Amino acid sequence: MFVHIDGPWSPLLGRLALSEIPYNNPILIGTFAFAALLAVVLVGLVTYLGLWRTIWRDWLTSVDHKKIGIMYILIGLVMLFRGFMDAVMMRAQQAMAVGPHSAGYLDSPHGYLTPYHFDQIYTAHGTIMILFAATPLLVGIMNILVPLQIGARDMAYPYLNAVSLWLTAAGAALVMASLFIGDFAHAGWFGIVPVMELPYSPGVGVDYWMWAFQLSAVGTTLGGINLLATIVKMRAPGMTWGRLPIFTWASLSANLISLSTFPVVTVALALLALDRYFGTHFYTAGLGGNLMLYNDLFWIWGHPEVYFVILPAFGMISEIVPTFSEKPLFGYLGMVLASLGIAGVSWGVWLHHFFTMAASPAVNAFFSITTMAVGIPTGVKVFNWAFTMFRGRLRFELPMMWASAALFFLLVGGLTGMMNAFATNDYMVHNSVFVVAHFHMMLLLIVYAIFGGVNYWFPKVFGFRLEQRFGKMFFWLFTAGTAVVFIPMFTLGFMGMTRRLAYVAFPQWGPLLDIEVVGIAIYVLSAVFLVAQLYVSFRDRAKNRAGLDAWETSRSLEWMTHSPVPFYNFAVTPEVHARDERAWRVARGVDTVRPERYEDIHMPRNTAIPLWLGVLSFGLAFGLVWRMWWLVEVCAVAIIALVVIRSFDHDTDYTIAAKEIERMERAIRDVPSGRPAADDVIGGVPAFRQGV
Amino acid sequence: MTHGTDNAWEHPEVQLAGGGYVAAFVVGLALMGLSFWMVRGHMFAPAGLAIAISAVAAVAALVQCVLLLHMNVSRTQVWQTVALVLFIPLFVLTIGLTSWMFHGLYRRTMMMPAAHAGAPATQAQAGGA
Repeated sequence: MFVHIDGPWSPLLGRLALSEIPYNNPILIGTFAFAALLAVVLVGLVTYLGLWRTIWRDWLTSVDHKKIGIMYILIGLVMLFRGFMDAVMMRAQQAMAVGPHSAGYLDSPHGYLTPYHFDQIYTAHGTIMILFAATPLLVGIMNILVPLQIGARDMAYPYLNAVSLWLTAAGAALVMASLFIGDFAHAGWFGIVPVMELPYSPGVGVDYWMWAFQLSAVGTTLGGINLLATIVKMRAPGMTWGRLPIFTWASLSANLISLSTFPVVTVALALLALDRYFGTHFYTAGLGGNLMLYNDLFWIWGHPEVYFVILPAFGMISEIVPTFSEKPLFGYLGMVLASLGIAGVSWGVWLHHFFTMAASPAVNAFFSITTMAVGIPTGVKVFNWAFTMFRGRLRFELPMMWASAALFFLLVGGLTGMMNAFATNDYMVHNSVFVVAHFHMMLLLIVYAIFGGVNYWFPKVFGFRLEQRFGKMFFWLFTAGTAVVFIPMFTLGFMGMTRRLAYVAFPQWGPLLDIEVVGIAIYVLSAVFLVAQLYVSFRDRAKNRAGLDAWETSRSLEWMTHSPVPFYNFAVTPEVHARDERAWRVARGVDTVRPERYEDIHMPRNTAIPLWLGVLSFGLAFGLVWRMWWLVEVCAVAIIALVVIRSFDHDTDYTIAAKEIERMERAIRDVPSGRPAADDVIGGVPAFRQGV
Repeated sequence: MTHGTDNAWEHPEVQLAGGGYVAAFVVGLALMGLSFWMVRGHMFAPAGLAIAISAVAAVAALVQCVLLLHMNVSRTQVWQTVALVLFIPLFVLTIGLTSWMFHGLYRRTMMMPAAHAGAPATQAQAGGA
């Protein structure tokens, strides 16, 4: 039944053998030593501090949307670091391997990476940055904020939320495992067809990529269902559609995209799996298959996916700008319609990823026009942000700096995107580093919005503000690094340099590639300041303690509960009166009113099942990669059994008595806004410890 | 979150589901018989038959949506209906545009001798542009 694979196979280990461990590659040995050292230090630290019980009880088995969000963000940050390291390696290789006389190291003809290794690195960089960095970071932020912004206790399906998290974690772990066991795909993050087919990629790399992708796609689809159900069904009384905070609207649009398009990529990859495991011919040139079918299916998901990651970023900018302009958002309705408009147009533009692949001129013209049409709702957003700032009292604190710089990247990325939208123009720059520089502008817009959002909502989640001095140095160095990497990259694109070059044949490109290395070095330096910012913030957390409203001019519902947010979110479900509820209450002087009586709160109970489902999914995918059929069978049966067992568990919730809420609320001493006196923080609020 | 929803029979969708199942079954059977009769008797030319069958299938889908799935704009069902309505433009965009792209693609990249004679690439280009 299975397609024949050349090479050894044993029933116990499948295709896995000692020779698959890259112990002879000094780069990977160094990486492994670093990862192992970090793991030993972390495990030692946790053991020394006696935190295992806390980690298990309060984090790993938690179904609290805020903790799940924080864990999503942690996964995103770890993978961001990994993807960044890939970028550093690529920049170094391209700068070293210029011209026929360039030296070669470590068995490589030029530079220090063999072409096969280099191909794996750009594949890993793309896959990681899109699916395992940007997506988890944004899903994490949506997870934390959406229930708070609509006045809910938790997500609509807290258990499903944890399942989504651990599926994503399993996917990320699979990508990491490919570093040290076997190798990763070399066929590009989107799967260059037919290179990813078995005859051209007989190794396990493409399988790693495919199954990690699947796990993340399933996790994100489930997360999308959850966020949609939460926004539709869990809104507090008075939270009508017209009063929904703008970030929640952006999340709604984004998750409409994820729900409708992620299934397409799971199907596309499932068909690839059939090709690679059962010898079918969906994506081959012969026997009824079609290469273009893969490109078509992949990008039906792929383009909406980029709007799935950019809409929450737009939502964050839309929350930050009014707060630091001390004005309500200009053009709320326009903003909402623009978000939904971007989501709508996103389904009709995918073919611009393969303008050059023989579609008829009429088809190309159609997709050119739809692609340009994206500029209309995006332009509406930009003008709304500009009019929000117009005659506002602008305060350039860190979140605002990140958000306003993001607008600059939207301009550069958007205008170069319009250039690419012309099919005729795309014929000139297709597959060049101009396209690479363009989409990095868009992804940097997302990164800037994420850093802005993290700085903005950090006090809400942890109870203290991030330090500003190192933060600003990080901002400026990161911005300088961006300029020094990507201005030469745009230039090289115009000079005709193509993507994915392990060897650069034209020496005149060398100087610009050297400048890009300087840029990436500035990025590395900026990361040092990020670490310094986090360290100093944590050290001085008592000094930077934030009240309810960390920025004093916040407007939406999440700023009405304590910082850090207690596990039950709101002691009493808030009644919503206005679009900017907090601003409305502050204007009427009722923001400090404490409820006169409390009610019982119904909460979901912790469970370890999602964690086990994640572990088993990892086992399932790992077994599929290495064709260890016993492992696949064991994990598949165990997953089904766990899901069935869970469905018979009716003890999934509990009630906190009103008296208990009152006791915890009285223990919290926070001031409505401004800087309260030094207090014990990070988990210092007793209610933040769940203990159930 | 409210208590007591663990029991599926107490869900409002189930409680308010109402009847219509027998009617759906009978109508579905009739529509299937109709299409079977059309195909068996070759009632139209192949192209017309395809259109007629598609029309009957569309009616059958509507019958299932209304009588079996109880799609309407009542409070409990409105989101199912919204999801279905959202599906229509998605279907048109993804399937329709994909077919359109492949239609031109086959003429341009997978030219069989016969197709080559019938629709030369230059003509397709002129027609497309």
